[in-house]
Amino acid sequence: MSAAAEVYVPKLGALTALTGTPTHYCAGCEHGTLTRLIAKAIDELEIRERTVMVSSVGCSVLAHEYLNVDAVQAPHGRAPAVMAGIKRVRPDLLTFAVQGDGDAASIGLLELLYAANRGEPITVFLVNNAIYGMTGGQMAPTTPIGMVTTTSPSGRDATSTGPPIDATRLVAGFERPAYVKRVFLPIAPTPIPRVYNARGALEGAASVRHAFEVQERGGFAFVEFVSTCSVNWKLGILDAKRYAADVLRPLFPPGVYRDRFGVEGR
Amino acid sequence: MTLERPSGPDRFRVVVDAERCKGCELCVVVCPPRNLRLTRAFNRGGYHPVEFSFHGERGDCTGCGLCYWVCPDFAIAEVGARRP
Amino acid sequence: MTDDRAFLKGNEALAYGALRTGLNAYFAYPITPSSEIPETLAAEFDRRSYPAFRTFLQAASELEAISMVIGAAATGAKAMTATSGPGFSLKQEGLSYAAGMELPMLIVDVNRAGPGLGNLGPEQSDYFQATRGGGHGGYPTIVLAPASVPEMAAFPALGFDLAFEYRTPVTVLADAFLGQLKEDLVLPDVAAPVYAPEWAATGARGATRHVLSSLHLELADQSRHSHHLREKRDRIAAREPRAEEFETDDAEVVFVAYGICARLARRAIRLLRARSVRAGLFRPITLAPFPADRLRRLVAAGRSKLLVVELNAGQMVDDVRLAAAGGADVRSVGEMGGLLPGSGDLVRAAEAMLR
Repeated sequence: MSAAAEVYVPKLGALTALTGTPTHYCAGCEHGTLTRLIAKAIDELEIRERTVMVSSVGCSVLAHEYLNVDAVQAPHGRAPAVMAGIKRVRPDLLTFAVQGDGDAASIGLLELLYAANRGEPITVFLVNNAIYGMTGGQMAPTTPIGMVTTTSPSGRDATSTGPPIDATRLVAGFERPAYVKRVFLPIAPTPIPRVYNARGALEGAASVRHAFEVQERGGFAFVEFVSTCSVNWKLGILDAKRYAADVLRPLFPPGVYRDRFGVEGR
Repeated sequence: MTLERPSGPDRFRVVVDAERCKGCELCVVVCPPRNLRLTRAFNRGGYHPVEFSFHGERGDCTGCGLCYWVCPDFAIAEVGARRP
Repeated sequence: MTDDRAFLKGNEALAYGALRTGLNAYFAYPITPSSEIPETLAAEFDRRSYPAFRTFLQAASELEAISMVIGAAATGAKAMTATSGPGFSLKQEGLSYAAGMELPMLIVDVNRAGPGLGNLGPEQSDYFQATRGGGHGGYPTIVLAPASVPEMAAFPALGFDLAFEYRTPVTVLADAFLGQLKEDLVLPDVAAPVYAPEWAATGARGATRHVLSSLHLELADQSRHSHHLREKRDRIAAREPRAEEFETDDAEVVFVAYGICARLARRAIRLLRARSVRAGLFRPITLAPFPADRLRRLVAAGRSKLLVVELNAGQMVDDVRLAAAGGADVRSVGEMGGLLPGSGDLVRAAEAMLR
């Protein structure tokens, strides 16, 4: 490696904000992708030594094993409240949480919406894969109508459970949030077979950075990452990406829903 | 990081940490010149890891870094540019 | 308020006691009969009269409030919240996580009548929930039981000291009577011990990270952690039981009572002694750890008739029986629903034990 290493200069490489611990995420999962996007932003903004992440409950429960920052565990759904507690006594720190759709849009919806309404200077990353992943594929608040899960074996039926919850629109419905964005994170199919684009990851990288910058300026930042869960959707990895593009992207339209500080496009 | 324009053969390369790879193929299908492909070997996790070649089905590595950004397992350890 | 002499409700006194011990953060959710605590703190926060008191915030729910306490406590701040029965049930979620993460914090339960909504009168029916730990999983509990307005003011300091020493939540278990009772008191000195715990999550320094998590997926890791918590519980049980005795030296019958019931018992003791019945009082100050050894010594010294007075159907009486270990006649008397037993009830029950 040594000879080659001298010949090549890294453009992209190791990150201080990653511990190096291999992840428990399933193959092809956007949780892993997002983990590196967060680490990259933390490195670029040089905020690692004053960042406290709040671990939520769900597939992201072990994110503190991978991100090389201080961490506090929140009860299921309460990550925004724990972050508010941190920021209220230590406004000099940065805090963020990676929440799943069950954590943020079901059991923790109150904590999310009240933090948004108060405009807490915190950063919430929501990984919306439309299912309870960690517990093995139960119906989530964001599960599309008709999707078969272990607790909606005939497909989600709106007459019984209501339609999917759109957390981004709910958050954007409040006055105080400064940055609300939805990113379609998976690689996306193109008209050419077996050719996918990586626009979501690139856009996600910028959005993560923006979300931290907005917090630094005292604003509430929320980014939803529409994602996949091939294992619990019982689809192949690339089939899951296509399903996400066909079904979830229209249901949860990507876009900038709020940008009070004008961080987009800078 | 700003670099002078790399030159010569094999201007860019991707370093794969094969032991971290879970063989999900995301890098394979986003790589425009197809410089990454699944191998038939097994790593310790029981996955077929990807390997990098300078010359893909559709051309040479351009150092675009898409593989790095999409990889969920930090198995694309580095994207490097040859010193001029 | 900065004068040291005052005439306050128990809830107000507790709020000032917390401020004077350097409280940093209070996260509120209103519930009768504890709401004077957040009301007093909100007023003082607006006056900015206590520089250490950086945060007062009313949360949207008890669950949100206790989770905010977790966040503040994780940075090493002195953080607290207060509630009553129904709210105390909701606090249990956060208390379990906090105990698992070993976070110091102060929780006040101004016990009202229950179960369910019950009413706003005093009961001591949250005894089991507080002392056993009403959250899931096993964890150490420290529960302090004030019996006067001066103690309502003094116990936040004791509570925070214990919470930080053992890195675990501490509960002050009062009742509606103590919360609403007004008494003269001298407020505790303003002391602001600065805690800067090395475990606090305030940012990684180089390679040193602070990860506060109650998740231990490897069975051996959880086992190690659970044994550590058990060892902590045993250490607390060995070092921290507190109790007070009143006229027990010659007592033929000893009341065992805490909080407002200890005061009722004192009145009954005076009446009984006037009737030549030698009565005394054993008053646990810490309900957890229960002062079992001290009670056992009392029984061994011949105090073999114990009359437990509680505002519930009989909860602490179990701990008294365990401590007495069959060496004493243990009986129970009390009231519920927000009513207090009358002195006559206690006198008659004591005399019945001697017959």
